[in-house]
Amino acid sequence: MIYKKISRLTEHVHIAPLSLFRILFGGMMFASILRFSLKGWINELYVKPVFFFKYYGFEWVKVPNETGLYILFALIAISALFIMFGLFYRFSALVFFLTFTYAELLDKTNYLNHYYFVSIIAFLMLFLPAGKYFSLDVYFRPSKKLTHIPRWFIGVIQLQLALVYFFAGLAKLNADWLLGAQPLQIWLQAHSDMPIIGFLMDKVWIAYLFSWFGVFYDLTIVFFLLNQRTRGIAYFFVIVFHVLTAILFPIGMFPYIMIICTLIFFSASFHLGVIEKIKKFFSFLQSGNEEQVKHYVYRPFVKKFILVLMVFHFTFQLLLPFRYLLYQGNLFWTEQGYRFSWRVMLMEKNAIAYFYVTDRDTGGSGEVMMNNYLSPNQEKMMASQPDMILQYAHFLKQKYQELGMKNPKITVESYVTLNGKGSRLFINKNIDLTLLSDSFENKWWILSPYEK
Amino acid sequence: MFSMNSFKKYNLFVLIGTVLVLTFNACKKNIKEDEIIPEDSFDRSAMLANIGDNLIIPAYANLKISLDSLQASSNLFIANPTLSTLTKLQTIFSQTYKNYESTAAFEFGPAEDEYFRTNFNVFPCDTLQINSKISNADFILVAASDMDAKGLPAIDYLLYGSNKDNNIVLAKFTIDGHASNAKTYLAGLINELKTKCDAVNKGWSSSGGNYISAFKSTTGSDVGGSIGMLVNQLNYDLELLKNAQLGIPLGKKTLGMAQPTKVEALYSEQSLVLVAAHLKSIENIYLGRSTSDIEGLGLDDYLAHIGAQYESGSLNDAIKNKFSTAKNLLSLIPGTLTNAVIGNASIVDAAYIALQQLVILLKVDMPSALGVSITYVDNDGD
Repeated sequence: MIYKKISRLTEHVHIAPLSLFRILFGGMMFASILRFSLKGWINELYVKPVFFFKYYGFEWVKVPNETGLYILFALIAISALFIMFGLFYRFSALVFFLTFTYAELLDKTNYLNHYYFVSIIAFLMLFLPAGKYFSLDVYFRPSKKLTHIPRWFIGVIQLQLALVYFFAGLAKLNADWLLGAQPLQIWLQAHSDMPIIGFLMDKVWIAYLFSWFGVFYDLTIVFFLLNQRTRGIAYFFVIVFHVLTAILFPIGMFPYIMIICTLIFFSASFHLGVIEKIKKFFSFLQSGNEEQVKHYVYRPFVKKFILVLMVFHFTFQLLLPFRYLLYQGNLFWTEQGYRFSWRVMLMEKNAIAYFYVTDRDTGGSGEVMMNNYLSPNQEKMMASQPDMILQYAHFLKQKYQELGMKNPKITVESYVTLNGKGSRLFINKNIDLTLLSDSFENKWWILSPYEK
Repeated sequence: MFSMNSFKKYNLFVLIGTVLVLTFNACKKNIKEDEIIPEDSFDRSAMLANIGDNLIIPAYANLKISLDSLQASSNLFIANPTLSTLTKLQTIFSQTYKNYESTAAFEFGPAEDEYFRTNFNVFPCDTLQINSKISNADFILVAASDMDAKGLPAIDYLLYGSNKDNNIVLAKFTIDGHASNAKTYLAGLINELKTKCDAVNKGWSSSGGNYISAFKSTTGSDVGGSIGMLVNQLNYDLELLKNAQLGIPLGKKTLGMAQPTKVEALYSEQSLVLVAAHLKSIENIYLGRSTSDIEGLGLDDYLAHIGAQYESGSLNDAIKNKFSTAKNLLSLIPGTLTNAVIGNASIVDAAYIALQQLVILLKVDMPSALGVSITYVDNDGD
């Protein structure tokens, strides 16, 4: 039986879904980068700040100067456009993956799950023949055209999407979300001034309804999308769900990316229909002659390589979100193992951090003027994330040493509120942070939210 | 690789397993009773109307009145500089400075356009720069480099001087070689403030820029919504109070070495009066209390409506208590702040710590409970 299932995966299907996915993904990414730069965020997030929070292990990532940054983002935008048109597809996909991921690694203050998602999809697309149909590459070199590919080439993208939804749903299975309808109670009431449905946003039962619907949606939507009979109605819910989140929460492009990406669950005939419509609209694209069937043929080495890579990738993807189990304490509180796990819009967290410096030689001590080095956004994001607090403390140590203090001791007094529970001390305020170094080990100096 | 169908089954197992594990976990923990939100809606536009009509507009109107009389009084002084016209001018100046404190938290809309804070109250002022501008007859105040030579702190210096002797102050406007320059400079300082204040009054007025109407109707909590701006600026201003008015003089930024000359209103020695006035005006915004001490809808009512909790009580009570603790501790500081940061540092420090705790409640807990985002720029979240 298993053999039958596997043979279904290797059975050849039309390439249209993958090809249209390439076009939509490229277009979407181009629009995202355009929006990002038009909002002035390149300047705001990467030119203005003097300090950047690097990811553990990626301290070598350098923030280019202003010109360099604009070149970097221009490269992302251009390669996205090339992906969309299917021009020099493999090369463009590689450039896009590298430049986008590099930009993402510049400062973890700006970590977003959907940037991570984009990086992963871009990575997967490096190995998929998405440029071999309805692209400029085959327009110029028709001999390169492919019409049929193994089903699993489309399956990997579907599986990646399934993981996003599944883990997002899994993360919602917690007491605050299910039994307290938090943080949705807080977030929804903030919208009680909305036209027409505003009065509902203040109601407790609405927060419960949204919470439970959200869990149900995340955990089941992929199955409904996979099933041909429920696909239509499921996609309707995809649109409703994501449009609602786009209206209610400041989550940028994420809802639209998901709405577009889930189209990959639709059949080849649906995608062929869309492609026909596009061809009709741009009449010069019409070739006129019947389509010649041409199957993807593996080179043996490539087949083995891609298969091993995919097994490795998805095993990693399945395990990574569970790494939090290796750490002590409440995940939402400590955020140890929180990132890269599809935990989207799960908690209302707000924090403040006061840093203190003591000159160990003279005993003099004082508070650190925060706004000298950090943007308000960096300051806010750092205050609730221990690894960032530690990084900043080390930066401060270095700054004070440059100012001539030989032995600075840096401590932090940080208060965090989680899901509307009163703020509490977050980090042991007597610990000299300069004596600690970041690692994957448990951060024992984070206080428990339950102790006084 | 497994097929989608077996993946489906596998997934179901994981799902069922997870639900069981989580239910088990949830039962182990003591789940607190849900905080119930009252079912009726909170009228945010009524709160904004109260704050706009009864706090913000009167605050700028009062500042305008005192600036008008400051200008009239300084004209009298300039025409006839005597000890008597000087003391009258000083009295009105003190009131003006106090009235300014009530406007300090409203740096959005018209005030933001006029860079109100920067033009009015960057302290300490640069006395060397002021003196050199006077002796060089340089009366231009618009450059960024002039920031330290103008506003209320510069007037404070000109009207009181560093010797606490009105005769010496008077001499600068009478027998000094640059007396007429000093007069022109003083008049220019006051005129600039009056122009800025008039512009802000006009901006808010329903017969002018009518910002009040936008303020009342933009009821969103997001960046750009009135509640978002109000809460953000209230916090920004409270942190300025904590850091600039108390912390820096206390030596918080200088490894504990007091900086007594960095206090606000150093020369007129009214720092503590101004800190108290400033804190009260921030409390007024929180309570929705008008300039004539009448309480209307404020952030306190909003928090009470939501039922926000802090430790074992309500967040609203915690904030109110912290305001009164901070006010009490401030009132215990003896003499002038300049002397206190040296002689009674521990008393000042106690007030500073209370202010810091107030900041935590207002900047961490309150925005979180209201769903207001504390960022000064629009940004995506996940």
